[in-house]
Amino acid sequence: MRSLTTAATGMQAQQLNVEVISNNLANMNTTAFQRQRAQFQDLLYQNVQAMGMNSSDAGTIVPTGVQVGLGVQADSIYRITEQGPLSNTGNTYDLAISGRGYFRVQLPDGSDAYTRAGNFALSPEGEIVTSDGYTVAPGIAIPQGAREVSINAQGQVQALIDGQTEPSTVGQLELVTFFNEAGLEATGDNLYLESAASGTASVGTPGSPGYGIIRQGFVEGSNVNSVAEITALIQAQRAYEMNARVITASDEMLAASSNLR
Amino acid sequence: MDNAIMIGLTRQMTLRRDMDVIANNIANANTAGFKVESLLLENQPARTAEHADGPSELQYVTNWGMGRDFSQGALDFTGRQFDVAIEGEGFFAVDFNGTEQYTRDGRFRTDANGQLVAADGAPVLDADTRAPILLDPSATETLVVDGGVIMQDGQAVGRIGVFEVPNRSLMTKEGNGRYTVANADDPENQPQPAFDPVVRQGYVERSNVESITELTDMMSIMRTYQSVSKFLNDAEDLNKRAIERLGRVS
Repeated sequence: MRSLTTAATGMQAQQLNVEVISNNLANMNTTAFQRQRAQFQDLLYQNVQAMGMNSSDAGTIVPTGVQVGLGVQADSIYRITEQGPLSNTGNTYDLAISGRGYFRVQLPDGSDAYTRAGNFALSPEGEIVTSDGYTVAPGIAIPQGAREVSINAQGQVQALIDGQTEPSTVGQLELVTFFNEAGLEATGDNLYLESAASGTASVGTPGSPGYGIIRQGFVEGSNVNSVAEITALIQAQRAYEMNARVITASDEMLAASSNLR
Repeated sequence: MDNAIMIGLTRQMTLRRDMDVIANNIANANTAGFKVESLLLENQPARTAEHADGPSELQYVTNWGMGRDFSQGALDFTGRQFDVAIEGEGFFAVDFNGTEQYTRDGRFRTDANGQLVAADGAPVLDADTRAPILLDPSATETLVVDGGVIMQDGQAVGRIGVFEVPNRSLMTKEGNGRYTVANADDPENQPQPAFDPVVRQGYVERSNVESITELTDMMSIMRTYQSVSKFLNDAEDLNKRAIERLGRVS
């Protein structure tokens, strides 16, 4: 009975669906979390009776054929790179990106990672770092004794240094974009890595065409929509139950056969 | 007597296959663009051994084809700019290793080169040129307007192809939500760009599987299978009793 394994693939798919949904719900309050969606595709088909074949020597052809599908598979877990809501924190080093783009972060091993979570802070050396202490590229150091630090929409970091009346520019933040943002590889800690699918990073200044702008004092919330996730959860659960019913029914059919004398 | 058992067996074989088809429908109840299928059966007349009243016909059951219900699935709003759904007839076309494949699953994306591609990276074909569609990744606004035309910052960069397949019974499922068209070289069968298709941006077409219908069909298949089993048992019983009674030596 193929239906047993077919229904099993259906149950596995729905289980994966629930896993993705629960991860979304668990990250409902994660800074700049981008929700994911499991996508499914039908599995291969078995040709019981191929269509288009001749059914007689007079040249008539089998009009529809018989193809039995073997179930469902996950084809990708897709990241939905929608803008999350911006919430005001008033914190100097909380930066949110409004629009496209990622901050570039230098990992301790020297490689680059990308993030939209702009809840930054200062390192003991005065550098702007992520909450894990990684330097935010290109590495902006706030001079000691700076009073007011302001970061404008174009990413210019200005500080009012003690004894001066005019603010001086101490650095320029950059954003990177990708051809295919959904192809970035998530590594946890709100960080993403470049992959073959994402394309190479293109660096630009915030506010230039194709790049978002920076909002100081805001953080980007997670773009998980709890109502949508719950309805998806209900659908997944019902689909799981229905596949389980198919297994029960197939089992009863097998039992009927094995009870033949 | 044996004929009765053979007829019962042909019915059970088709019921099992029917169950496989329904299991596949239910497993794909959440697969975008999936079209529900059902097994088509026919009677296969056969002759019994001749007897006094002349031959009477037997009716075996075989499957002769697969019916696909190409009706519209519900459209789900996702808001993603490259999720597109066809309202009405037609299929999207993708280039899969040199062959054109057709699909109703419009969850597209851009790849690293800026091409509009399906989930497995197969490029989506343009309606007019039948070539991949190149997008400008730096565009701030991408709109899919009437008829599938992609507008980026006010510039038309391509038209998502929606093709009509003249003879849908020649479509073979390839998995991954894709179909190929048999004998597509024949101009009669070649899919043609649809006239004025309705393409909705930000929507995904759900599968058109009606779970209730599938579940009731499944129950009826199961019960039929069981009653055929019962009937097979009875036929066998009859056989046995005939042998016992007729073969009794008194």
